Amino acid sequence: MNPWLLFWLLLKAALFSTSGTGNLPILHTDLIALGWATDHNFAEALAIGQISPGPTGLWVISLAYLVDGVRGALLALVAIAIPPFTALGVHALYARYGAHPAVQGFVRGLTLAVASMFLVVIVNIMHQNGIDIRSIAIALGALGLTYTRKIPVPVILVGAAMVGMCLY
Amino acid sequence: MEKPPRLRDLFRIWAGIGLQSFGGGATTLYLMRCVTVEEQHWLSDEEYSLYWGIVQIAPGINLLGQTVLIGWRVAGALGAIVALIGLLLPSISITILITAGYATIRTQPLVVAALHGIIPATVGVGVVLVIQMLKPPVLASYHEGRWHLGLSLVVLVAAPLLLVLLNLPAIVVLWGAGFCCAAGFWLLHWRGGQQ
Repeated sequence: MNPWLLFWLLLKAALFSTSGTGNLPILHTDLIALGWATDHNFAEALAIGQISPGPTGLWVISLAYLVDGVRGALLALVAIAIPPFTALGVHALYARYGAHPAVQGFVRGLTLAVASMFLVVIVNIMHQNGIDIRSIAIALGALGLTYTRKIPVPVILVGAAMVGMCLY
Repeated sequence: MEKPPRLRDLFRIWAGIGLQSFGGGATTLYLMRCVTVEEQHWLSDEEYSLYWGIVQIAPGINLLGQTVLIGWRVAGALGAIVALIGLLLPSISITILITAGYATIRTQPLVVAALHGIIPATVGVGVVLVIQMLKPPVLASYHEGRWHLGLSLVVLVAAPLLLVLLNLPAIVVLWGAGFCCAAGFWLLHWRGGQQ
């Protein structure tokens, strides 16, 4: 595996997205096309990202570890630490142009596209894991529990792990 | 704020936020606000919200952008770097440890079975995340009028279709959606001004 290419893909995905999961559709296309990661790896990394502390965007550290070990994780760390500094430039620009309708439109379009493309990744992950009554029931259960916001997500995932151990 | 805090203290404070915020981004954002606005009085509530708006547009993970902006506000360039390292160091270490631990046991039958439960659950959590991401922009478009709403819905449906059916690169679809809405909003704004 070429570490420079991996670093570039991680950096590119972070630079061209505006949130912790915005890089997901980009990385998903790139890494799967190269055969470096599977849908399964993405699902594993997303789950670990939910369990571990800090921003959910750290899922990418976990993904890079699964793909390329400690080296990958460190490359991912550098790749996600650089783009946030652009916020300083955006801060300066925002004061001048933030209210412009084209700027607001651009942000709107980006947000909508990221969210709907995220759905494509989710469907792929679900499909690869195998769709049956058990998995659909677990997914719907987790969806409902998360939506109520009464139970923290890590607790839901631990619960799902136990259900998995019993059912599979 | 009287005098800038020592870098050592900054590091300690940010590491504390990174270490305590189990449970995803919402917890981190909540803790960060408590510590920086209420405890340390580094910035006002309004500034905190303004920063949060800015990092929605800036590249990269929003919470890290927020960290950089607040770090800069408190102690300049060094402050931004120390804040980012402070927030990331403990949380990254734990993420790597969890992943490494997981990687050594991932082939055990019990772990495989557990994962069969966890993966659909992350899918369920992911759907909620999508709903949460979509709610504010769709509601805003709804209030702006039927043209804005129509444009938003077209982007919403077209983006995944272009990705799957035409196999376009994700970046092209993302930025295409951005530019379409930018042009559309500008046009609608201009037309509104004409009437």
